[in-house]
Formats: sequence, C-alpha cells, structure tokens
Amino acid sequence: MRATRWVLGSAALVAVPWIAAAVVPGQQRYVLHVLIFTALYGALALSYDLVVGHVGSLSLAHPAFFGLGAYTLALLATEARWPFALALPAGIALAAVVALAVGVPMFRLTEHSFAMGTLGFAIVTQVVATNWVDFTHGPLCVTGIPKPQVGALRIATLPAFYWMGLGALALVALLYRGLTTFRLGRAFHAVRDNETLAAAASIDPLRYRMLAFVIGGGVAGGIGALYVSYVGVLCPGELTVSLSVNLLVMVFLGGVGSLRGVLVGAAAFTALPEILRMAPTWRMVIYGLLLLVIVIRAPDGLEGLMRRASSRRRRPASSGA
Amino acid sequence: MSDLLEQLVHGLTLGSLYAMVATGLALMFGVVRLINFAHGEFYMLGGYAFWYAYVELGLPYPVAGLAAVAAMAAFGLAYERAVIRTILARTWHVQLIATLATSITLTNLAIIVFGTQPKEVPTRLSAAILEVGGVRMVWQRVLVLVAAVAIFAALEWFVAHARLGKAMRAMSQNREACAVVGVDVQQVALATFGISAGLAAAAAALVSPLFSIFPDVGALLTLKAFAAVILGGFGYVRGAIAAAFLIGIAESLAAGYLSYAYKDAIAFVVMVAVLLVRPQGLFGRRIGI
Amino acid sequence: MALFETRGLTKRFLGVTAVDAVDLTVEAGELVSLIGPNGSGKTTLFNCVTGYLAPDEGRVTFQGRDVTGVAAHRIARLGIGRTFQLVSVFPRLSALENLLTFLQQHQEESLVGRLVRAPRVRRLEAAAVERARSLLDSVGLGGRTEAPAGTLSYGQRKLLAFAAALMPDPDLLLLDEPAAAVNPTMIEQMKAQIRTLHRQGKTVLLVEHNMDVVMDISQRVIVLDHGQKIAEGAPEVVRRDPKVVEAYFGR
Repeated sequence: MRATRWVLGSAALVAVPWIAAAVVPGQQRYVLHVLIFTALYGALALSYDLVVGHVGSLSLAHPAFFGLGAYTLALLATEARWPFALALPAGIALAAVVALAVGVPMFRLTEHSFAMGTLGFAIVTQVVATNWVDFTHGPLCVTGIPKPQVGALRIATLPAFYWMGLGALALVALLYRGLTTFRLGRAFHAVRDNETLAAAASIDPLRYRMLAFVIGGGVAGGIGALYVSYVGVLCPGELTVSLSVNLLVMVFLGGVGSLRGVLVGAAAFTALPEILRMAPTWRMVIYGLLLLVIVIRAPDGLEGLMRRASSRRRRPASSGA
Repeated sequence: MSDLLEQLVHGLTLGSLYAMVATGLALMFGVVRLINFAHGEFYMLGGYAFWYAYVELGLPYPVAGLAAVAAMAAFGLAYERAVIRTILARTWHVQLIATLATSITLTNLAIIVFGTQPKEVPTRLSAAILEVGGVRMVWQRVLVLVAAVAIFAALEWFVAHARLGKAMRAMSQNREACAVVGVDVQQVALATFGISAGLAAAAAALVSPLFSIFPDVGALLTLKAFAAVILGGFGYVRGAIAAAFLIGIAESLAAGYLSYAYKDAIAFVVMVAVLLVRPQGLFGRRIGI
Repeated sequence: MALFETRGLTKRFLGVTAVDAVDLTVEAGELVSLIGPNGSGKTTLFNCVTGYLAPDEGRVTFQGRDVTGVAAHRIARLGIGRTFQLVSVFPRLSALENLLTFLQQHQEESLVGRLVRAPRVRRLEAAAVERARSLLDSVGLGGRTEAPAGTLSYGQRKLLAFAAALMPDPDLLLLDEPAAAVNPTMIEQMKAQIRTLHRQGKTVLLVEHNMDVVMDISQRVIVLDHGQKIAEGAPEVVRRDPKVVEAYFGR
C-alpha cells in the first residue's frame, strides 16, 4: 500500500542517525556529514531544475543567489547578531529580490545572451565578494558563524543538522511538486516547449520565467544560508562558476525536469567523490567529461534510462521484432 | 594628460586582445551558429603552448608564436571533429552545456599539468620602452596593435577573395543554399574552427608577454569576447571588433580612474547597458560575417 | 463599428518596407481572405496585429479598443486567436493537454487558487476537458487524444493547432495558411471546418496561397503586393482585377 510505504520510508529517513550508529559505528559522523551535504545539494539542485528544467531558462546565475543568501546570514549573524529565525528569511528575501532585479534586464535577452548575461552576473558577484574586503572579508572569509538557534531549539549536533537538511529538502521537494504540476506546471512547460505558442495561448512567458527565476533564486539563497550555518565559515570561493557546472551535472545526470531524477543525480554527485576521495581538480575534470558525455549521449539522464528500462520491461515479449 | 593617454594605450592593447578573441567567436557563430563557451580556453592553451615553445624549448619569438598557432589550430580541428560535429545539430542548450563542460575540463587539466602559478613570458619587446609624446609604453604593446590590425586586414582579404573564406561568408549568410550549390559544409565548419583556435593562440602569443598565463584566464576572456560579439551584432565580425575595442578602452579607463579591483565587471555592465537600450546590438542585426 | 481594423499599418525591416500603410477592416461574422504573392507581407501583418512584432506606424483596433503594439499573450487574452504558418503545437503534451493549455489562462484568477485544488477549480477543469474532447472530436482527432502531439502527422498537428486556437472561443480567428503542405483530403476537411465556423457566426481572417480554397470559401478577398493593399472585394471581382493578375503573373 502506497501510504504505508511513504510512512515507513519517511520513518527510515528520520531514523538514519541511529541506523548509521548501529550499522557503521565509527563512520557515523562521516556518513551524516555526507548526507547533510547531499540533502542541501539536493534542495539546491531542485531549485535550479525549476529554472532550467521546467521553464527552460538556461541560467548560470544560481551560484550568485546561493552566495547572496549565505553572505546575508553570515554577516547578519556575526556582525549584527541577528538570530537564525530572522537571518534565514532575510537571506531568502535578499536573494529573491536580487533575482527579481536581475531578471528584469536579463529576460530581455534571448537564449545565448541570457546565459552569458547570467554568467556575467555570477562572475561579477564573485568579484565583488572577493574584493569588497571591508564588507565581506574577501578571501579572509567570514568565520564564527553561530549554530542555528530557534528559541530553545539549538541545532549543534550532526544528527540535528541532518534533520535540518532533511526537513529543508522535504520542504523544497514539496514546493517543487506544487509548482510543477497542475496548471502552473503546464504554464511553465508551455513556455519551455514553445514560447511563441504559449503566448498565443494567453500565457505570458516573461511572467512565468520571472516566477521560476525568483522562486529558484530565493530557495537557493535559503539553502546558502543553511549551508553556512552548518559549515560555520564562508569564503568567496563558494560561489564560483564551478557550482553552476556542478548543478548542471546533477540535474542532467539525474534527469532534468524530474523530481526523482534530480535527487538521484544530486545524491550520486555528492556521494561519489566522497567515496572516490578525489582531489578537487581531478574531480572537476571528471565532472566536465561526464557532463559532456551525458548531455550528448543521454540528455534525459539516469531518469530517462530508468524510464526506458522499465517501459521495455512492461512491454510484451513479442515486440522484439 | 599623459596619464589619460597611457590608459588609452592600455585600452588599445586590451581591445586588440578582446578583438582577436571575439573575432574567433564571431566567426564560429556566424558560420556555424555555435557559441563556444570553451573559446577562452583556446587562448589559455595557446598561451601555454607558446610558453612551452618559447621558454622551455627556447625557440625564437616568431617561431614560438607560429608553433603555438599551428598547435592550437590542430587542436581546434581535432575538437571540432570530436565534439562540435556531434553537437552542431542539437539544440543550443546542448551546445552551451557541452562547451561549458569542455571549458571546465580544460581549465582543470591545465591546473593539473601546469599548476596554478602564472607563467611569465618576457620577451625583448616587453621590456624595451618606447616614449611617444610624453607617454611611456613597452614595444610589445605596439606589436600587439600592429599585429592585430594586420590579422584583421588579412582576414578581410581572406573572406573576400580566398575560396575557403568566400565559402565561410556564404555559409554565414545562407547555409542551405551553400549545401545545395555544392559547398562542403562540413569542411568549412572544420576550417572555421581551426582558424578561430589559431586566432586565439596568436592573441596569446602576442599578449602573454604583457599579462602572463594562468589556467583561469579563459573564463573572463570568453565573457568579454562574448559581450563584444553580442554588442557587435552576433556574427558580424567588424561589429565585434569595434565593440571589443570599445570594451577594452572602457575597461582600461575604469581600471585607471574608477577601481582596479572591479574592472572585470565593466564589460558586463557595458553589455547589459547597451542591450537594454538597443537589444539588437550597436550595429543592428546583420546577416553574415 | 468594425470588429477588427488596421489603419496605416506599417512595418519595416533593414530598409525593406514589409507592410506599407495597410488599411484593413473585418466586420463581425465575416470570412475574409488575405492573399498576395510570396513576400507580399501577409504573415508580417499577422505578426504585427497579434503582438509578435511591433508596428512602426499605424493603428490596430479590436472591438473598439486600440491594441497596437500590445503583447502577444494579452492579444490572445482579449479574444484574438491564431494559428501559425509552420504548424505549432506543444510536442511533449498530448492533444488533450494541448487544448487544455489554451484555456487555462481564461479560467484562472489567482496564483493561490491555482495551487490549491479547490472544488471550483476542479469543476472548471472538468468543463475544460469536456470542451477539449468535443473540439477534438469535431476535427476528427477524437481517437488520438492521449499520444504526445509530437508523434502526430503534419496534417493531424495542423488540425490540432486549429482546434487549440478555437479552445478559448476567440471572437476573431486568424489562420495562417491553413491549407498549406497538406494533402487534398485534408484541404477539404479544413475548408469544411472553416465553413462551419463561419456558419456558427465566427469571424475569420485567413492568409492563404491556395486559390481554390480562397475562391471557394471567402466572402471577401484582400490582396497585398509588396506590402501594399492593391485590391479588395468579392472573390470573383478580385480574381479578374488586372492589378492582381499582374502582381501574380506580371513579373
């Protein structure tokens, strides 16, 4: 029964810290660390897929929104002593507002220009973060970011961060689902698949592209804020173009436009290098090549492969001709 | 006043660099409608090839430069056959992601092979100083500008008179007609790529004595070159060259008078500002290179 | 007051005047054809009045209001439907979903209302499905409602695009070459569909190259050449107009 599977699955996910302690004692901290990153990257990838996969805007600005949310929380928490409960929404809001401001000029550009424009914005954000040392501390990084505390609830242990990450992922997944199904989803997909025809169907392409872009940006900012709350330190190196490539790999490897696919992609992407323990540069070489091969040979990603495999299984044997 | 003139000279150097790189991008877009996000890496690899030939092998400057151009032209041809040919028929999303992936791969390979320390490539001309009307500059800057102009002139002649060049222009104007008339579309695409890569390497051989070579140099360069291509009218080479000089001079002036740290933002700001006012670029949408 | 009208509509590209001071009127319930040799500016005119291109000069009026330069999605919302010269559908969606997409903007009010599956939304959705099915039946696609539109044949996609344009019940329908690139049976089907629309009192303006179709079904014909209107009137009259003959054959 579907409901039972859901309940059992959710219970299992929540119980992971104890399961890990039982199954891999001694490795528990490491496993939880990887899972926290996986959850946060999964949520980030979903917010990116909203823009790239569902409304079809190839934005390369996502690292900037991630960074804006991160810096907002980091600076508000360390310099202005804002509590987590206020700094997190502030990070989300700032990222969303900047996405709105940037989106207006960007969406006047077409295709390649849009991609380049968003890339330029991401690079400028990185340049500013690196050079505005008085404000952002530049390469000296923002340190001592306090652990989240909401009233009596303090998130300081690994299991607590795991549940925070899991909760964030669940929320984002729910939001993603709500935005990509029913009429809103149809409007997004119409803009993605045939913008000219969408307009003839009374669907305003600009409105829906902006909606996805702003929501995606805001969520990215939120994830950025959660991320720095966990890591405790924020350096400008967090918002490089590499993050865009990573997100593209996650989304395309897993299956662009698919909830399950993107989550699988994020999990594979985050877990693999941990397992393989590669140096960062070699890791990027592999990801670059992987992305190249995937986008050419399997643009549907793992999700596409899985779907094709399962539909082949369902078809009767006589289709072999 | 000499300060301003000196900034302008620097701007011309930057402009020459951006124009040479932008020309390669504009050619590729004009002839095969492809934006190569990895184009900056052609410059970077060309720079390393030049460094290797000049510093490690000790070849004379002109020989080292030509060797770098030849090496990158060959690389460009190989890359076209291996990757570009496959993605030419695909959507621009695929093309963009594929070339972006290539860019990241090449950049990180360069870090692994050459390390992150910038490579200096001092030549006699990058040390010899020339003084004209109170403005001091090194001779290398003169070489850069003169060579750039010569290259552009050669390209103009090539596209107007050489068989391959004329085919390139024809393809940029009407690809279907070319195929019908018997132009070998694949060969022209291949050659365009080789030429673009060679141009990037030539730029590197000319400019690296002034700026040094490091693995990340390609990323910003691609962005600025692309800004020039957009401003110039997407595929219109002369437009891209003019826009590139505009960006180079603006950047130099901004670095000198506004802020050095944020100079890289200038190209982006100029591009967005122009596009907001005139989405079709400075010279309007042109058809053909 | 005419349902639809252009006054002095002009559009220029790179030195060429594609549409040159065109005055055009369509009364409610009329079936008008817009013809002219290749390159005479017909599709450009369509694009200018449906919000895909901004006219350089002139005015477009629909139901008494000025709609010059209004964006495409708002033109559609106001009740002008259109098809495209190169047949255009949502390839990944089924035929049914294609049609549903065309109606949803006309039925929604708020973003929140859309996210929540309130009973009212459900009722509207059911009514939309009902309407979509009957439209698909009437164009003969009743049996192919579920397959992705991208897998349909060219002719079937044309019928689908036609049905989709009708879905929001537009007050004016602009058809761009409905009889182009399809077999004779399909042409007859198209003609029958357009005649049915006309009988139902719908206003139709079509661009068409196929002279048989034009002469057969039009009430009135307007002729463009090099962006200018050179003739207008009943099909028989226009066909014999020497200016029209010269435009088509004279060069």
